[in-house]
Amino acid sequence: MRQVLEGSHAVSEAVSLARVKVVSAYPITPQTHIVERLADLVAEGSLDARYLRVESEHSAMAAVIGAASAGVRSFTASSSHGLALMHEMLHWAAGARLPLVLAEVNRAMGAPWNIWADQTDSLAQRDTGWMQFYCEDVQEVLDSIILAYRLAETVSLPAMVVFDAFFLSHTYEPVDVPEQEAVDRFLPPWQPSEFLDPENPRAYGQMASPEYYMEFRYQIQQAMEEALRLYPAIDAEFQSLFGRSYPLVETIPAATGERAPIALVTTGSMTGTARVAQAELLEQGIAFDLVKVRAFRPFPQQEIRRVLGDYAKVAVIDRNISFGSGGIFAQEIRSALAPLDRRPALYPFVAGLGGRDVTQASIAAIVARAGQDAPPEDLLWEGLKI
Amino acid sequence: MSPLTFKSVREMPMLSRSADTMAWNHTGSWRFLRPRYQDKDAPCSAACPTAEDIPLVELLASQGCFAEAWQRIREENPLPAVCGRVCFHPCEGGCNRGEYDDPVAINSLERHLADQARRQQLTAGAAPPPSGKRVAVVGAGPAGLSAAWFLGRLGHRVELYDAHEEPGGLLRYGIPSYRLPAEVLAWEAGLILEGDATFHPGRTLGKNLSWDELSSHDAVFLAVGAWRSNPLGIEGEDLAADGLAFLEAVRDERASAISGKVAVIGGGNTAVDLARTLLRLGAEPTIYYRRRLEDLPALPDEIKEATEEGIPIRPLLAPHRIEQGEDGLRLVLTPMQVAKDASLQARPTIAPTGAPDEEVTVTAVFTAIGFQNSPGLPAGSAQAVSPYLQRLLPAGAAEGPPVFVGGDLVNEERTVVTAIASGKAAAVAIAALFAGEEPAAKLEAGRVGTGGTVSFNRLSGGDRSAREPHVVGFDELNPIYFRYQGRTRRPGLTLKERRTTFDEVHMRISGALAMSEAERCFRCGMCDQCDNCYLFCPDMSVLRPADGESRRIDFDYCKGCGVCVVECPRNAMVLEEEPR
Repeated sequence: MRQVLEGSHAVSEAVSLARVKVVSAYPITPQTHIVERLADLVAEGSLDARYLRVESEHSAMAAVIGAASAGVRSFTASSSHGLALMHEMLHWAAGARLPLVLAEVNRAMGAPWNIWADQTDSLAQRDTGWMQFYCEDVQEVLDSIILAYRLAETVSLPAMVVFDAFFLSHTYEPVDVPEQEAVDRFLPPWQPSEFLDPENPRAYGQMASPEYYMEFRYQIQQAMEEALRLYPAIDAEFQSLFGRSYPLVETIPAATGERAPIALVTTGSMTGTARVAQAELLEQGIAFDLVKVRAFRPFPQQEIRRVLGDYAKVAVIDRNISFGSGGIFAQEIRSALAPLDRRPALYPFVAGLGGRDVTQASIAAIVARAGQDAPPEDLLWEGLKI
Repeated sequence: MSPLTFKSVREMPMLSRSADTMAWNHTGSWRFLRPRYQDKDAPCSAACPTAEDIPLVELLASQGCFAEAWQRIREENPLPAVCGRVCFHPCEGGCNRGEYDDPVAINSLERHLADQARRQQLTAGAAPPPSGKRVAVVGAGPAGLSAAWFLGRLGHRVELYDAHEEPGGLLRYGIPSYRLPAEVLAWEAGLILEGDATFHPGRTLGKNLSWDELSSHDAVFLAVGAWRSNPLGIEGEDLAADGLAFLEAVRDERASAISGKVAVIGGGNTAVDLARTLLRLGAEPTIYYRRRLEDLPALPDEIKEATEEGIPIRPLLAPHRIEQGEDGLRLVLTPMQVAKDASLQARPTIAPTGAPDEEVTVTAVFTAIGFQNSPGLPAGSAQAVSPYLQRLLPAGAAEGPPVFVGGDLVNEERTVVTAIASGKAAAVAIAALFAGEEPAAKLEAGRVGTGGTVSFNRLSGGDRSAREPHVVGFDELNPIYFRYQGRTRRPGLTLKERRTTFDEVHMRISGALAMSEAERCFRCGMCDQCDNCYLFCPDMSVLRPADGESRRIDFDYCKGCGVCVVECPRNAMVLEEEPR
């Protein structure tokens, strides 16, 4: 059924469709609407779940870790400083192989205070063992929650569905809300192989000595790789049921049949802007192919190589920064392309930090700069007031 | 079962876990602190002079067990229909909920339970077999009725003497019917007298009830009250009428009609009762009080209701003279003020301001400025047994039965509920002497709180004797588990109805309201099986027997972390050092 939904409420709808049994909630702008709507759904009885109000994000994550350990599909949401406070527990969730799903609304980290879109908060959780999927629009946000549960429960790893503050969290868009019956078919009840059972009390997550710790880490890496392998089939099944597909790396060519001289890599909501810019620039005779990257962990290295390897130039826009290095997606892409004999010239742009608009003009400027300049030694700032 | 060592990752589980059950691991051996379920006393119970088991009563009421709740009240106080109407409810002052939002409406609930029992014609349980002892109780007011009830509960036969025709004392002849209808009192007194007690009306101590006659009993309890009005000590005093005698005449339906402006002198409950009664009879009363408004000894609720009914209260006017005028009585009043250097006193001394006297012309002047003990008591020395009871050692009568004095004769408060407490203490003390026990020690064994409150259940070895005699304060609760909820207001007559009829001003709250109001009770110090301990125990060591018995701790696994104790909303658990 088609509805006009706020991005946050699309998450709540998806959580409800996923028949989540435990929701833990601690508010933070711009995430709060998600858990507020879930509270309504639980209170009015349309979602049969336990709703736990907790005293911090650390506890919010600890609570769903507890619930999932007991074998129950669980959900929480956070953003920015809230996610940072969860950090310790994020490691635990992945290490305990719990298929939690977390809606993460990208918001800048302080100081200075800033509540607007910036990906540094989620990207800073790179090594926690969580899968991360970045969304372009509200429909993708809703669908990604459902996809994330399916994938997470298949490979026993937690997943974050990540999307930009306000541009998506507070924007109303027409959304096709799937039928419950179809979601039930795609996402059957979770059947955990291991869960806390009072009838058969076991100790979980106890000490693993140096003899075994590495093997547990190895298994997590294996699971990440398995997620990459299994995702296309899961996405295909999703498409057959719902008519929509979300490849981990997607090319939007400027013109059919020929490769543009430049590939522009985007993530998150700026991809939508780039689509419009692409069409406008093409009318002016400037062509670039748009490459939307959806997955950060596991990072689809082979797919990146396959898609980007043959371009002369690749420009990457990062709405994030790793201080002392540069844009984080650009680093990953550079690393993925490294094994190639002949590598595209890489133009790593940083733009739109702290919610600054990445406009069609920004995209045009980036494409123009990448077209003229020689590849830089380090990062390129776009829109900086110097 | 998984192997205990792994040669390859392929043999390993996905996450680290024990190979098999951990039930063998009795983590209770790590414990150095141990939780225990321990009920304690609630501040409402400790503040109630009769030690009603209020948390339990409210728990039962919240579950709709009204009859059982009523029986539990009567275990400590045989007059809940009376107290539910006229008690000054110190329980509500002690209620911990008062520090949260508003105290539980304990008094309204008590009345609801008693009225419900009356409607359903419930009766008291059977009394124990007779002991063969006969006790004389003189005065059938709240103290005497209470003594009769508890002596009956202990198997002793009671001869109840009173100067009036009906039992109740001040309840019957002093308190107006708009506060306490006669039929309600008659029902409740009837429940007391239906046992092994005989009521002897029209017997006045020192007149037609002699000391010799009383001496033939095995024990005597004197609770004849304080019915003698204090004199005004002013010129023209003979022209004033005795307020209490007038109230008595109204209750006896022999008062003559009265109209026009009337003056009531005094500031206690009797003065207020009198003014409100005069209003209902068609007069225009004004209360004149020599001290300040904040010094009025009447109960705040009474003053508020009188003011609502439009009765003026004129403070700082002392009666000076009463004269017979042509068109009525002329009352001359002297304006007063707080005396110099007296402003820091709790009840400051007053002195004339020096301003000219004020004169009012009225059809009648009534006095209610305090009362003295009724006459007829034998001479002798008194010895305090408890705050509400004295033992009298009559001069030159060493051979006679033990004599106790109670009710308004001995307690400063002179309230209904302290009189009931006094009667209970007398019954316990008399029974103790019969059993060869020390009365004060016996009373001490039933004490609740730090005052003179004594629980009959506790000293009889009932379920309250298992409670720790510690009164739970608000700071000892975990109020995060309580929700704000407004206090129930009791319905009542309209002001217009109040001014013209003697119908009861307050009405009973409904059963549904009673249940929700009772649910507001924190049940301080009493396990109500809310199961917070069960939910929070990280070791799953709180056991809930299926038969509804109390929760138990599984000490095989309880590590003594104390979470259950901390999360108990009502302080019904305690954490103690593990015995070595």
